[in-house]
Amino acid sequence: MPPLLEVDDVYAGYGPIEVLKGISLTVDTGEIVALIGANGAGKTSTLLSISGCLPARRGSMRLAGQEIHALPAHEIVHRGICHSPEGRKIFPRLTVLENLQMGAFSRRDKPGIERDLAHAFELFPILAERKHQAGGTLSGGEQQMLAVARAMMGRPKLLLLDEPSLGLAPMIVLKIFEVVRKLNDEGISILLVEQAARMALKLAHRGYVMEMGQITIAGTAAELLTDKRVQDAYLGE
Amino acid sequence: MSAPRWLDRMPAWPLYLAVLVAFPLLVYPNEVLFRWTGISIGGQLTYIFIYAILALGLNVVVGYTGILHLGIAAFFGIGAYVTGILTVPAYPFGVGFVAALVLSTGAAALAGILLGAPTLRLRGDYVAIVTLGFGEVTRFTLRNLEEITAGTRGLNPVPPPQLPAFLEPPLRLLGITPDWSLDYRLFYFLALGLLLVVIWLLHNLEDSRLGRAWMAIREDELAAACMGINASRVKLSAFALGCGLAGMAGCLYATVLASTAGPDAFDFNRSVLMLCCIILGGLGSLRGTLLGVLLLIGFDNVVAPVLDGFIQASGISSGDNRFLTFSNWKLMIFGLALILMMRFRPEGLLPSRQIEAEMHTPQPLTEETA
Repeated sequence: MPPLLEVDDVYAGYGPIEVLKGISLTVDTGEIVALIGANGAGKTSTLLSISGCLPARRGSMRLAGQEIHALPAHEIVHRGICHSPEGRKIFPRLTVLENLQMGAFSRRDKPGIERDLAHAFELFPILAERKHQAGGTLSGGEQQMLAVARAMMGRPKLLLLDEPSLGLAPMIVLKIFEVVRKLNDEGISILLVEQAARMALKLAHRGYVMEMGQITIAGTAAELLTDKRVQDAYLGE
Repeated sequence: MSAPRWLDRMPAWPLYLAVLVAFPLLVYPNEVLFRWTGISIGGQLTYIFIYAILALGLNVVVGYTGILHLGIAAFFGIGAYVTGILTVPAYPFGVGFVAALVLSTGAAALAGILLGAPTLRLRGDYVAIVTLGFGEVTRFTLRNLEEITAGTRGLNPVPPPQLPAFLEPPLRLLGITPDWSLDYRLFYFLALGLLLVVIWLLHNLEDSRLGRAWMAIREDELAAACMGINASRVKLSAFALGCGLAGMAGCLYATVLASTAGPDAFDFNRSVLMLCCIILGGLGSLRGTLLGVLLLIGFDNVVAPVLDGFIQASGISSGDNRFLTFSNWKLMIFGLALILMMRFRPEGLLPSRQIEAEMHTPQPLTEETA
């Protein structure tokens, strides 16, 4: 059986600047994979490229064996990849409920959407409390919860999470990571981009380290946590 | 800030509709107003209905989808000129009103698609420049293609619609003469009817999948794409619908005026005035757009000329004193009103809930934000 997501030698960039220089990685069904690295290494671009927002210039991507790298972003969502972009990008003027409904835009099964909505409120009770509040009025942590819940509403096979810890207090990050693990237990595979490398690797099964647009180290989370190079550069010991 | 109380207490739409229907049927109010002001308010309301259709079209593009469109007048003009070409005796087509209405709506929508398809990939301000440029190009094209558009004279006469024979008895019963040039009320009800159809259509669209997709794109295009929205197609659909409605308004305008008017009726000022209407009323809000049109076009077409007449009649001015002609102060009052709006109520008089939220959203709690 092919891996759920297979990224093979992908190049991408913005105008004359090449940001991804031959990225290859895989995510198996049921896995949490962490992608760590410094600022500007190309982590966010990797996710954008997988979700079709930044078209790949070269290389290929397959979801469960089917090629997806030539598809437009909205088509990729329909195939089962949901992207919770960096900086949360919730819809600030829509209510919490409407934000979640937007997350299910690609679906038409009303009863299923209702069920998942109830589930989202179960995972993040604070969102139920703020149901009719505009997304922009939530605190940073609540907005991040909303972003994760919204991505989940698309009922993805693979969830791309970009820096869920960005700018949040460690307590809140823990809470969000806890939900990420729950989602994973429910069968959603996750590709997680994080600067908070230690927390990400503790959560993940496997990890990749990115530097200057390339994958430089790959291994299981346990291996990376004990790798001397990773410790020196990213774990701050 | 929520809407002031007196706005919340405004009665529901059936009352407005009843007033708009009753006003011309009662005959008397319009005649009294005419004797008093020298202006047929009913006749001017017809134009306000037409501009309301135009503004609602613009609101789809600017208000719902968040694309700044500075050339809506061009599509208004395309609608008017397509109607002109299809109906005036100088051309061999001579189609009926309904066909002209459908075709000019379609032509304007098609023009919108042709302009939008290659340019809607551009972001924000660049689209505004493209639409601004297209507006001017259209105006000059209309002026310079004299063989087709009759240059600055415009195409005329645009014949009135054919009245179905079965409508004549009921119209007579209501006291309406079934002759378009004798009784303004025929055009009045035609325009009002079309406006109601457009309002009904847009009201339903607001809550549809497509409507929500428009608003998601207005909020954040990247996030919308991540939700599985085909951003370029959804934006193009808004553009096509908005431009199509502008074309429909243009067709109606040419028919009521019995002429396409000259190219200068479709200049940049017209586009900006329409934009002012929806900003004043409340971007993205149906009620707001209608109120904005009523206030601004009403001010322009009714209040200003009426005051001019009063000043002249009162003998304060002999007519050649520029400062004592109210119309010359019009633009200043206009500008002042907009400045005051932007200062005290930037979301418009009757804003949509989301836009109001954006204008008055407190910053999220700081200890948790980046």
